[in-house]
Amino acid sequence: MSSRVLASTAENEAEWKKRATKELKGSPKHEGKDPLESLSFETPEGIRMKPLYTPTDVAGLDLTTNPYPGLFPYTRGPYATMYTNRAWTVRQYAGFSTAEESNKFYKQNLAAGQTGLSVAFDLATHRGYDSNHPRVKGDVGMAGVAIDTVEDMKVLFKDIPLDKVSVSMTMNGAVLPVLAMYIVAAEEQGVKQALLSGTIQNDILKEFMVRNTFIYPPKPSMRVVGEIMAYTSKNMPKYNSISISGYHIQEAGADASLELAYTIADGLEYVRTGMAQGLSVDNLAPRFSFFFGIGMNFYMEIAKLRAARKVWSQLIKEKFSPKDERTTVEAMAAVLGGTQSLHTNAYDEAVGLPTVTSARVARNTQLILRDESGIPKVIDPWGGSYMMEKLTDDLANTALDIINEVESMGGMSSAVEKGFPKLRIEQVAAKRQAAIDSGEQVIVGVNKFRLAKEEKMDVRQIDNTIVREAQIKQLEQIFAGRDKAKAEQCLANLTKAAAGELSGNLLELAVEAARARCSVGEISDALEKVFGRFQLNDSLVSGVYAASHPQQDLIHRIQGLSEQFLKDEGRRPRILVAKMGQDGHDRGAKVIATGFADLGWDVDVGPLFQTPAEVARQAIDADVHAVGISSQAAGHKTLVPDLVAELKKQGAEDVVVVVGGVIPPDDYDFLYKSGVSCIFGPGTRIPDAAEQVISSIKKKHLKSAVTAQ
Amino acid sequence: MCLRPAGLLLPGLANPLRRPYTTNSEEEERVSALAGRVMRGERRAVAQAVTLVESSRHRDRRTAEALLARLAAATAAPTSSSSCLSRHPTTSTFRVGISGPPGVGKSTFIEALGMRLVEREHQLAVLAVDPSSARTGGSILGDKTRMLRLSNHPDAFVRPSPTRGTLGGVTRYMSETIAICEGAGYDTIIVETVGVGQSETAVEAMVDMFLLLVSPGGGDELQGIKKGVMELADLIVVNKADGDLADAARKTQFEYQSALKLIHPKSFDWMPRVMACSAATGKGVDDVIATFEEYRKTMMETGELWRRREEQKRQWLWRLIADELVDRFKQDPNVQQQLGSLEREVARGTLPVGIAAERLLDLFGHPHQS
Repeated sequence: MSSRVLASTAENEAEWKKRATKELKGSPKHEGKDPLESLSFETPEGIRMKPLYTPTDVAGLDLTTNPYPGLFPYTRGPYATMYTNRAWTVRQYAGFSTAEESNKFYKQNLAAGQTGLSVAFDLATHRGYDSNHPRVKGDVGMAGVAIDTVEDMKVLFKDIPLDKVSVSMTMNGAVLPVLAMYIVAAEEQGVKQALLSGTIQNDILKEFMVRNTFIYPPKPSMRVVGEIMAYTSKNMPKYNSISISGYHIQEAGADASLELAYTIADGLEYVRTGMAQGLSVDNLAPRFSFFFGIGMNFYMEIAKLRAARKVWSQLIKEKFSPKDERTTVEAMAAVLGGTQSLHTNAYDEAVGLPTVTSARVARNTQLILRDESGIPKVIDPWGGSYMMEKLTDDLANTALDIINEVESMGGMSSAVEKGFPKLRIEQVAAKRQAAIDSGEQVIVGVNKFRLAKEEKMDVRQIDNTIVREAQIKQLEQIFAGRDKAKAEQCLANLTKAAAGELSGNLLELAVEAARARCSVGEISDALEKVFGRFQLNDSLVSGVYAASHPQQDLIHRIQGLSEQFLKDEGRRPRILVAKMGQDGHDRGAKVIATGFADLGWDVDVGPLFQTPAEVARQAIDADVHAVGISSQAAGHKTLVPDLVAELKKQGAEDVVVVVGGVIPPDDYDFLYKSGVSCIFGPGTRIPDAAEQVISSIKKKHLKSAVTAQ
Repeated sequence: MCLRPAGLLLPGLANPLRRPYTTNSEEEERVSALAGRVMRGERRAVAQAVTLVESSRHRDRRTAEALLARLAAATAAPTSSSSCLSRHPTTSTFRVGISGPPGVGKSTFIEALGMRLVEREHQLAVLAVDPSSARTGGSILGDKTRMLRLSNHPDAFVRPSPTRGTLGGVTRYMSETIAICEGAGYDTIIVETVGVGQSETAVEAMVDMFLLLVSPGGGDELQGIKKGVMELADLIVVNKADGDLADAARKTQFEYQSALKLIHPKSFDWMPRVMACSAATGKGVDDVIATFEEYRKTMMETGELWRRREEQKRQWLWRLIADELVDRFKQDPNVQQQLGSLEREVARGTLPVGIAAERLLDLFGHPHQS
């Protein structure tokens, strides 16, 4: 053997550096620098990643002492055998239109290889409104299935054996009526509630942080979470009472460390909530599940799931000292991560609801990974990778710092009330948007390798007027046919229990109400009488977008347009950024608001959940040049024309209306004809949007002088 | 009660005949039409009139002045003072400035207060000032000053405005905005500012009553509020006096009461008070309104309300003169000729600032010699 092979690590490193330096000759960025340093980069999480990892990077990490899955701290997996024995559940999120339509779609999917259901509800249901409520005109049946009473729920699961198929329900606001109706639907199908398996999301903390699909204020909302845990642990032993979701935190623009930290901190808070209900950690924790989002940042996402298991199991052990550490921690970990159950978004998610084709492509992606690729045959193949072990450890430590910060504020409930996590996520989101807009963060097809003309995509179309009318008609029939006194009694009991004048578990009382054919709206109202409806009141970050945008020339040019506008018109361009309907996804609206303000605009920020008339009124009082509607939940075809009509009615037809968000290309013509000036789809760069809106204002608004009417 | 239309506060501008503001009849017609719509209380017109007075464009300033003059002429008609029992001129409008540190719950407070006022058939305008970014000039409006129910109420007008860098700017157009709103029939005007700082002084100089909103926080809180701001307050309200914070609120109320004893009162007729309330539950909000009414009655009977407004008008006159003078100074051809080089010399340190200022002032206002 040659002496080179036997050389010491230090000698090898020196040799490697020499060769690397030679290869980097001629590169203006790297020439003459230490290659290990100059090829390093910093991730959005603030973790320094190197181009090369060696044994020195992992010296002292715990994997060197415990390289086995199924053992504490579960970094390599919650089960000893993992996918070698049992693959993950293939679960696709779906729901739209009426219960009949969704039921048909579910049955097709189950026949095609899907192994569990994941129900998407419409926003009216999420926010506790019946389909006949005036505030939900644009929302019924659009972003999910419309459910008003247990009769809808029965149709939704018709011919689907609920004792065999596990059902996951994304529901956080109207958890009580929806879970109650699921229980009663099963009961009337002949399935006892003890046999039900599946998950209700029931993760209200992240709603206050990012998704805004809440109904009540934080304190009573947490009480509802606790009562559901108490009920399910007593009556539904196979049911997961909570699915703590990092997914939405990531979707709102958080980086991996924030997503990881806030999700785990939420989990700790829920353990405390359950314990306050008299449950033990050994009882509670096995019924927790976690739901993480997986993005394109390959190494980081793998490290995130590995770190999540480790951090969670360590913190549970440390903070709650469970009696049976093994069972508790293992069971918790068992349902942790995208690893035990996987949902793949369809390619058309950014423009609409999945079609049969797009749902198939998404589902088959999973099936190919499971059955063709051979990936499941080896447990945690990343284990022992110098890079992955080091990254997992770094990410876990970064997350622990953030968790400690939250814990020192008194836990997640207090932190959320102070609005702190929300602001932090928004900061990161604004930075990320600047990185995407400038091309620093590449998204193929969006900001790099763009097609001159995108092919038209077929998008599922829902006529929400038909759905709404059908729902209203059915609701009227059910109300007419039920025992009125009984229904009223059930609702009164709920109100009393909420006020503490009657003992009784809220879910138990909701089940009775569901049996008596009380509706989602009625049950929610009965509680709202005591709890109140929560109004969000939060402030926005500013200055982050412009400061972190790497193309300062572009920023200055667009800021110059605003300055010129100020000179010409006597004030800055002014836009109202508004959300209509029950769509609480406000990340887009917020990024636009802070981005436009940074580009020298005066930006009015509308509250969530407005009607078109309310938005028109605010636009008029503030005398804005333009209204920007952000729509993520498919209500635009009803709500946007209504807004244009309202503006006209209130004498402000010269206000420019622009729309952004999830808008299927097929709807563009319809919206333009309705009077919309610009439409900004996913991938629009904010400075481009600002420039276009200014020119639209000049074209339309300034023709008529302020007083010439 | 003696009702008299709102006195419009335009120093030297009250009589539109004294100086011709409009350059042609077309312009005059436009202003006249807008004034008519404002006086009929047309929301869109009121909002556009506010835009007009906020405008930095020269010709808009002229139009705004003409508009204000028209509103003044229409509303400030002499009334038969014999029907008034008071010895002093009275007004049917009431202007309140509300300020307080961030996070104290100003918008919730104004929402609770405002909803009660409109329910009592008041016409309420809420003028909120949000800071503009010094760096980019842009602003985010309405996120911190959000009044959901009020902003949809037919008897309320909620208008956020950006500070646009200079506080002098706010003062200048805010007085005019108040005049527009009063001309449109709003009898109660709330001016809200965010944060504790210099803006309070500016706002105090244009309202009848200045209310400082604070949260239950004990001594630390008290220290955070500058003595100068407390001196401006006619009423201090401790918000969030509910639930866990009820005791702390009482304690804070007491602390402010003690602190106020050390401050020389602003008026002989009114001792500043400290009250506690909860905007969230509504507890104590009616008492705040009762105090408004008591204050207004007292200050009207003693004539102090009117004296304050007169003083404010004088200040406003001088502010306008100062602003206009600086504008004209900068436009003066003699000044413009020398300004650049003198500024450079001052910056380099080769010329004392005082001498440079004097030289420029000497150049101002003389016929231009080229």
